[in-house]
Amino acid sequence: MNSPAGIQAHGVRRAFGQVRAVDGVDLVASPGRVTALIGPNGSGKTTLLLVLAGLLVPDAGTVTVAGYDPVTQGVEARRRTGWMPDVFGTWDSLTCREVLTTVAAAYRLPREAGAARAAELLTLVHLDEFADAPAHVLSRGQKQRLGLARALVHDPDVLLLDEPASGLDPRSRVDLREQVRSLAAQGKTVLISSHVLTELDEIADDAVFLSRGRTAATRTVTAAAAQRRPWRITSLDPDALRDWLAANGHVVSTGSTTGDGGGGAVLVHLDGDAAAAALLRAAVTDGIPISSIAPAGGVLEQAYLELEEERR
Amino acid sequence: MTRHGTTWHLSWHGIRTVARLELRQRLRSTRWKVALIVWFVVVGAITGLTVGALHAATDPGQGGPELGSLIFGIVVFFVLFLGLLVAPTLSAAAINGDRNAGTLATLQATLLSPAEIVLGKLLAAWTAALAFLAASIPFIVWSLFEGGVRVLSLLTTVLMLAVVLLVVCAVGLGFSALVAKTSGSAVLTYLTVGGLSVLTPVLFGLSTPLVTTLEDVRVWTVPDSAWPQGPADPQPTVDQCHWETQTMSRVHTERTWWLLALNPFVIVADAQPLGDTAEIERAGSANPLALIQYGVRLARTGPAAEEDWCTSQFTEYHEDGTVTKPDSPVAQVEPSTQAVWPWGLGFLLVLGAGSVVVAVRRLRIPAHTLPQGTRVA
Repeated sequence: MNSPAGIQAHGVRRAFGQVRAVDGVDLVASPGRVTALIGPNGSGKTTLLLVLAGLLVPDAGTVTVAGYDPVTQGVEARRRTGWMPDVFGTWDSLTCREVLTTVAAAYRLPREAGAARAAELLTLVHLDEFADAPAHVLSRGQKQRLGLARALVHDPDVLLLDEPASGLDPRSRVDLREQVRSLAAQGKTVLISSHVLTELDEIADDAVFLSRGRTAATRTVTAAAAQRRPWRITSLDPDALRDWLAANGHVVSTGSTTGDGGGGAVLVHLDGDAAAAALLRAAVTDGIPISSIAPAGGVLEQAYLELEEERR
Repeated sequence: MTRHGTTWHLSWHGIRTVARLELRQRLRSTRWKVALIVWFVVVGAITGLTVGALHAATDPGQGGPELGSLIFGIVVFFVLFLGLLVAPTLSAAAINGDRNAGTLATLQATLLSPAEIVLGKLLAAWTAALAFLAASIPFIVWSLFEGGVRVLSLLTTVLMLAVVLLVVCAVGLGFSALVAKTSGSAVLTYLTVGGLSVLTPVLFGLSTPLVTTLEDVRVWTVPDSAWPQGPADPQPTVDQCHWETQTMSRVHTERTWWLLALNPFVIVADAQPLGDTAEIERAGSANPLALIQYGVRLARTGPAAEEDWCTSQFTEYHEDGTVTKPDSPVAQVEPSTQAVWPWGLGFLLVLGAGSVVVAVRRLRIPAHTLPQGTRVA
């Protein structure tokens, strides 16, 4: 077993009849890192995750998950893979605890180990008080959390999370972020798909952009942060700020991608954090009363929109 | 090879996990309990009404053993009829229903093999069907107390009912793996059950002209000349019987009996130990199961090469129940060697096993093709 751990996918293709859902995807996700899978609806994210979870045969390409090929070594790959589907169907009549003990039994865990694991996971996802309530009383967000617990039952090396944040309230999103970060810190490989790009900034280390079934780009979040993108600057004296920016050769953009640039705020395109720090130091030195400076929009959002832009 | 090996990997632990999951899902819906109670009441009412009607229709003291077997036959067929109606609902949505609810892929992604998932679901559906059967057993036993039914008949009949229900559950499961919509798989299962129950006897009846031929048959009979021409002439005697060749049309049911063997009602009726055939020949029987059994076995035998029209003319039935018969040169048909149910049972088991294989193949992962109109998850 020389194949590297994590997820390796090269040239993966999968068509459903005439529809080429995945049409040449290359993806590498490393242990200990969180990789975001980003793309518009219908870009092949879910199909790719189904291939990685060992549920679909790719028409072409090679895939290894945790060192095993999901097609030829399905059992070994599935033993090490936790998959959380985007549409979370539950066994309505079962209690949360029973859902988890059933899944534990399905992964051939001994009964006592399964019960202990279920209790541990219910605490992790804050569903203790619903442990013995039937799953159909749960809200959508609570079902998502139960789905995460279900994917973790057998302590997998690789986690495939399909839209885990959808339907979660802000508190649960923060919890999810911490849970995912701590799983990565334990050395697990996490692949997470989402539309909510701003929150992926804080979760993900790497990002893979899919477009029409292909890998459009692969970035690390730190590299994406160093890219040229708009920053929002506010000042107690907006006019002075505009004059100073113009005098120092910065182009003030009028259009705004996120929210308004109005009030006391202006948008300026800068080449990453270092450029922003330099601008701030210079402006403060020149006596401009700056009250805030921050990236306008998320790192991944910006990268995503740029890719969309290139395609047009 | 490895993929094939893992598809058919079977462990009791895996089957039990799936079966328990299915039963928990089903048992907690109250409709199931209501259905079981309604079933109990309906079967009980039918049994009670049958017993009451038959007691009212027969003279007191003359009922005797016949009544018990009649009640037995009616109750068993009614339970089979209801069972054939209920069993498809227990399994015909088991796979496509889960697929639509998004819970099937969750199981497939675990270490459970496709065979374990299918057999676990089959076990759960069969267990539920057996609960319905168990709810009817008190009424089948009731007929035992009315007399005329042997305990062995009861055992074989209940066993055969259980097998028929198992096969219907398996067929429902097969269709639910093949068809995307739960309504579609239910309809196909009902069509299969209806085809076996209703279509086979209809086809058997309609096909008789096709197997009817005019042929010369050797007949052991009283010559026409021996019959009295006037009131003064003597009656013919046994000694006058002789061989004649007559041309007559004969139905060769030995070519079409297998149609009846496919019928679940025939299989259940024929599986019981053979009763006293002489008794049935003499007076007919009030036991519908025994009549069907005798009928299908004669159908399988077909017309004999030689016929005896003589012996019955001179058979005497005495007050004490004994019978005197002249010796016959024609060999008697022996229904005990012409059992139909093993063929029917064999067919049902092949049908059930085939359905299970189809379902398992449909659940193999990773999947190459998906049923029309379905998603993996």
